[in-house]
Amino acid sequence: MVEKFIPKTKAEALDILSKHDCYILAGGTDLMVAKKNIAGYLPKFDKDVLYVANIDELKGIYKDDKGIHVLSGTTMDEVEKSPLVPSLLKKAISEVASTNIRHFATLVGNIANASPAGDTIIVDVILDAELKLESKDGIRYVKAEDFVQGVRKIDRKPNELITEIIFPEVNYDKEMWLKVGSRKADSISKVMVAGIYKISGKSLENFALTVGSVSIKPVRSHDIEEELKGMSLDELKKHKVAIVEEYAKLIKPIDDQRSTAEYRLTVAKNIIGKFLDEIIEGGK
Amino acid sequence: MKISFKMNGKDVSLDLDPSMRFIDVVRDVLHLNGTKEGCGEGSCGACVVLMDGKSVNSCLLPVANAIGHEFVTIEGLKETKAFDVIQKAFAEMGGSQCGFCTPGMIIAAYSLLKENAHPTEEEIRAKMSGNLCRCTGYQAIVEAVLRASEKGEGLW
Repeated sequence: MVEKFIPKTKAEALDILSKHDCYILAGGTDLMVAKKNIAGYLPKFDKDVLYVANIDELKGIYKDDKGIHVLSGTTMDEVEKSPLVPSLLKKAISEVASTNIRHFATLVGNIANASPAGDTIIVDVILDAELKLESKDGIRYVKAEDFVQGVRKIDRKPNELITEIIFPEVNYDKEMWLKVGSRKADSISKVMVAGIYKISGKSLENFALTVGSVSIKPVRSHDIEEELKGMSLDELKKHKVAIVEEYAKLIKPIDDQRSTAEYRLTVAKNIIGKFLDEIIEGGK
Repeated sequence: MKISFKMNGKDVSLDLDPSMRFIDVVRDVLHLNGTKEGCGEGSCGACVVLMDGKSVNSCLLPVANAIGHEFVTIEGLKETKAFDVIQKAFAEMGGSQCGFCTPGMIIAAYSLLKENAHPTEEEIRAKMSGNLCRCTGYQAIVEAVLRASEKGEGLW
């Protein structure tokens, strides 16, 4: 018999998680589809369920010297409307599913679900965000980049609850977000790319890029980023094709119902190329 | 488990399994059959209801997450002036044909207008992309929302 828990406080939730291996349901917009039954019947859960939407302590957004903290029960709609949140994250959120879904889906739920097509995950990764996990044993912080380990695989122990995602300040002043789906809105991504950079003088001071929906986890290369930092824009222009090819080596897309591997690779390369052109042009 | 929330202005307290989908509570327990189920997976928007004034897919909302919130279905919205304006606009612009998507469309339109009383055509298309219609081709619906926005000044 599957048990269902509806705690009102974080302490209660952590206590339940110390004794039961649960699905943690916040907004439920992914889990309710995964566990869907025939209309009129209860969803088919194969283990206990912990409903966390009634925990007020898990709602809100605040800023301190560590960065912007988005508590795990905060909806995408609330994050999108917050004046504190980086605009790159808002752009990604504005293209997640539909308005109706964003009214109750949570931002943290997107990375916790760890679908390769999760739009906001590549933004969490590019902005060096960190997840805060709490349990009765204590607190643990994990970088978003390490948190997602594969398709629906995350670095969370059964007794842990994600309580926050924290966005530190990152040094950039230009950003890029592009999602390719089969419709302009309310679609699941075929490919998405996020980029940030900062030019000082005639060279690249900072640069980062992430690609999603093309591999089991977000693609980010610190090696390529390090190579590019400090590079003059003339050099960047010269090496552009080679840089795109370096990224192409890391992209391992699949054929599925939404798209083909060939399409995804071609489109990802084109977007990266376009982004590099934009940087080269921007320096002029 | 005892579960309490507000539905169309009235307090409701029911003994339910917390994993029950809100759409099943709305239709089969409360017998508010204006809310429709289309896809059952959050894509079509036929099942949207207002939760604290915002449109949500009731097929993806477990009733556990409804505790303490205020809901309005199309039956509740029907009692408002805002509904009159939106309904007339849909009728005048041909925004409803078979009618299956219409309750969801009206709820989504109301939720949008409440947040943005003067949306552009593009904003309507983007914000209402989670509500599908197989009859109208959407143009008539977009025009109906634009008309409602014009006629319903100050109502949202």
